[in-house]
Amino acid sequence: MTESNPLSPMKARITEIQQMTDIEKLIKLRFQNKTDASNFKYMPGQFIKLGVMGVGEAPISICTSQSDEPGLELCIRNAGRVTKALHNLNVGNTIWIRGPYGNGFPMEAIEGKDLLLVAGGLGIAPIRGVLQYALHHRELFGEISFLYGVRCYDLMLFKDEILDYFRHGDEKGVKLYLSYEDESDKVCYDLSCERDDRCTQGMVTKLFSMLDSKSNNSVSLIGGPPIMYKFTVRELEKMGFQPDEVYMTLERRMRCGVGQCGHCIVGTGKSIKYVCKDGPVFTLWDAMNTKGMI
Amino acid sequence: MTESLYKVITKEELSQFGYALRETGTIYAPVKTSKESHSFKQVDTLTEADLEYHRTMIPPKKFFISPKETIFTFNKEKEEYNETPAVNEPLVLFGVHPCDINALNLLAKVYLESFTDKYYSERRENTTIIGISCTPDEYCFCKSTGTDYAREGFELFLHDIGDRYLVRVGSLKGYNLLQKHASLFREVTEEDLSLYRQAEKKRLASFTKSLEMSGLQDMLDMSYNSPIWEEYGEKCLCCGSCNLVCPRCRCYDVQDYIDLNLNTGQRERKWYSCMLKEHGLVAGGHNFRATSAERLRNRVNCKGSLKEDMTNCVGCGRCSAYCPAGIDYVEILQKIRGDIE
Amino acid sequence: MSKPKLGIFSLTGCGGDQLQILNMEDQLLDLVSRFDIVDFQEGSSRKVDGDIDIAFVEGTVSTEHDLKKLKEIRARSNVLIALGNCAIEGCIQSMRNGETTLSERLKDVYGVEEGFFDAKLSKPITEYVDVEFSIPGCPVEKEETLRGITSLLHGDSPPYYSYPVCVECKLNEYPCVIVEEGKPCLGPLIRAGCNARCPSLGLDCIGCRGPVEGAENFAAEYQMLLDKGYTKQDIMNRLRVFCGELGDDFLGGGDDE
Repeated sequence: MTESNPLSPMKARITEIQQMTDIEKLIKLRFQNKTDASNFKYMPGQFIKLGVMGVGEAPISICTSQSDEPGLELCIRNAGRVTKALHNLNVGNTIWIRGPYGNGFPMEAIEGKDLLLVAGGLGIAPIRGVLQYALHHRELFGEISFLYGVRCYDLMLFKDEILDYFRHGDEKGVKLYLSYEDESDKVCYDLSCERDDRCTQGMVTKLFSMLDSKSNNSVSLIGGPPIMYKFTVRELEKMGFQPDEVYMTLERRMRCGVGQCGHCIVGTGKSIKYVCKDGPVFTLWDAMNTKGMI
Repeated sequence: MTESLYKVITKEELSQFGYALRETGTIYAPVKTSKESHSFKQVDTLTEADLEYHRTMIPPKKFFISPKETIFTFNKEKEEYNETPAVNEPLVLFGVHPCDINALNLLAKVYLESFTDKYYSERRENTTIIGISCTPDEYCFCKSTGTDYAREGFELFLHDIGDRYLVRVGSLKGYNLLQKHASLFREVTEEDLSLYRQAEKKRLASFTKSLEMSGLQDMLDMSYNSPIWEEYGEKCLCCGSCNLVCPRCRCYDVQDYIDLNLNTGQRERKWYSCMLKEHGLVAGGHNFRATSAERLRNRVNCKGSLKEDMTNCVGCGRCSAYCPAGIDYVEILQKIRGDIE
Repeated sequence: MSKPKLGIFSLTGCGGDQLQILNMEDQLLDLVSRFDIVDFQEGSSRKVDGDIDIAFVEGTVSTEHDLKKLKEIRARSNVLIALGNCAIEGCIQSMRNGETTLSERLKDVYGVEEGFFDAKLSKPITEYVDVEFSIPGCPVEKEETLRGITSLLHGDSPPYYSYPVCVECKLNEYPCVIVEEGKPCLGPLIRAGCNARCPSLGLDCIGCRGPVEGAENFAAEYQMLLDKGYTKQDIMNRLRVFCGELGDDFLGGGDDE
């Protein structure tokens, strides 16, 4: 984004690529222009538009928390034309960025609270940013529990980190719970044997029975595919979370990122929201007021 | 400064004013282009314009957000791109109706509020808008949406009061324009004022279409699962015309094109419509509004929503007038309200 | 890096889509220089066997010979693109499918029974083989074809039009011939990409680019035209030319009164 036109991107270069799964890559990049780098301030849950000239742009959530280290990490699933082109790039290639966009999770407003993070599938990308932020400012938050649901070990993202949290999270200040759908998954089965109080076969909602009861000072932050919200929200409501204590990040088609192009519209006459500008993070209360959100 | 912000110009002298306006910028005015359509086209003199028109098919938003435009051209090897330079040609939009002026006011909020679009702001600054009063036809319901009168967003506004126009000044730019051509205008007399009152009374009485707005937003919300969306969804051609002719719709799509040299190319922006099948499609194949009924519901709800107490629809009647399937937007909402069966 | 191998093939049809590629006079030399052209009947007598990176096929399968040729092309090709309305929807050759049988037609036209010629009921190539992409039109648009080829060279998919002609009429401010003149325009159903050429001349769209992918509004168009006084036969005749084989099922039981 430049001063003149919100649709003008900034130049960045790919510094590292890590194949995470068959369809997901972690791409690290660095801005080419120092001013761009120093102006780029973001919160977990915000997203960028990442582009390849001649193909187009795709909305990608930032999966890190702002730190002093230069650069940015993005977890990209090969799911469409643009992400396919992004997957074809190599270290050293140029990539174009606009953003950061959206509201992000309100990390400052929830200081002092216990955090219940829930992630499924690619939804871990923004939630990872939240976790990094919370661990980076560990003293500002209460207990941190992190529920992560995967289909199988092969599709698990950020494997090393997740396994590290699984085994040593308690020392770092985060309790990690893991669920896996594929009954025949040997690696995950072994994990469930290793800690049957932290890992189970089934959907992510199955992990809720392992949690202590809700403290009166907690919030939940969730990221995952649309189908996950309905069931997760039901569990959170059972636990006693109020609608304004649940934050979730939504996915929609987003062309512009600045509330102009209209593709990410959601809601009714009572409440119209543009996910890119008004979100992508909404509370459950927002969702109750805005039909079609979840 | 004691100069009045209300003046009068005779219809005879208006053409002289139109002639003089050529110094201010290229003049665009409503011109009849077919049996049922008007279009804002470049004119040399106001005699080419049809100031008694009901509506242009494409609203004046086309001057601020181009239907098709290149955002930038790029060069992959050089790793650079060049933004399309802003067009700074001064324009005069002559004969804009209140609904369209109000629509432009709302559109400006989208383009200038959180992320300022310099192109949009420059285009607006380079444009002189001269509004004109109108008589409603069977599609107009701007009185219901509260957008039948322009309070801001224009330089001058002309009220037809018989053989002359009462002129309202809407901006400092408009004021200076009047000062510059002061000899063509005169002060408002008691008789002019009386004619203006009569003209307004007559205009307000001539609406045949109306829509009650109070509570509509909640009624829409509670009608989310109403069979009405299927009913109209079946009739709808999903052609996108309603959105493309809407003065408030602003959806666009962005697409890249690369040249055969695989090095240079451009990124283009084009008007788009929420009635088109891929509007809510995300990578991976999920479509958040896969059926015509879902898209129609989204469109009607979007139009029926409020933005700072203004409805997102200005009651211009274009979507109904230009729907090939003959779907009447107001009729849908009247059914939602239970005003008709 | 060696140049990608390109083949441009014709089955039964007028050959107009190949001709459109030849018609790209300004870009033709540049275009062909980027490929190793292994087959291009209208452009060259050179034919090379072996694998093909990108194959374009125009025309319908109307003979056993067409079918054999198509299957061979498919087997040789990494990417196969249906070029033009014949290959995608069957076009004019298929317009009476479902109305008359092949043997009736052979008898009417040639006075012979089925089996005398090698003829089959004309069908688009998409009936017999998978295609990766298609470029619509009767004939295809030069610019769209060029963009498609360029995108493939760029490792991308060819751009396609997921919206109907009406969008282009509005972007160009062409008055609507349905609304203003009650013409039986197929624009609401038909893929854009022609820049609304016919409506720009005040003519109604006859549908030469075929229906928008997954068009769900056939019934709405049909009903609209019935309401305007066109008969079921008028409408079906019009739709059948370029919209492929149509059963009556999509019409939602509209009666022809």
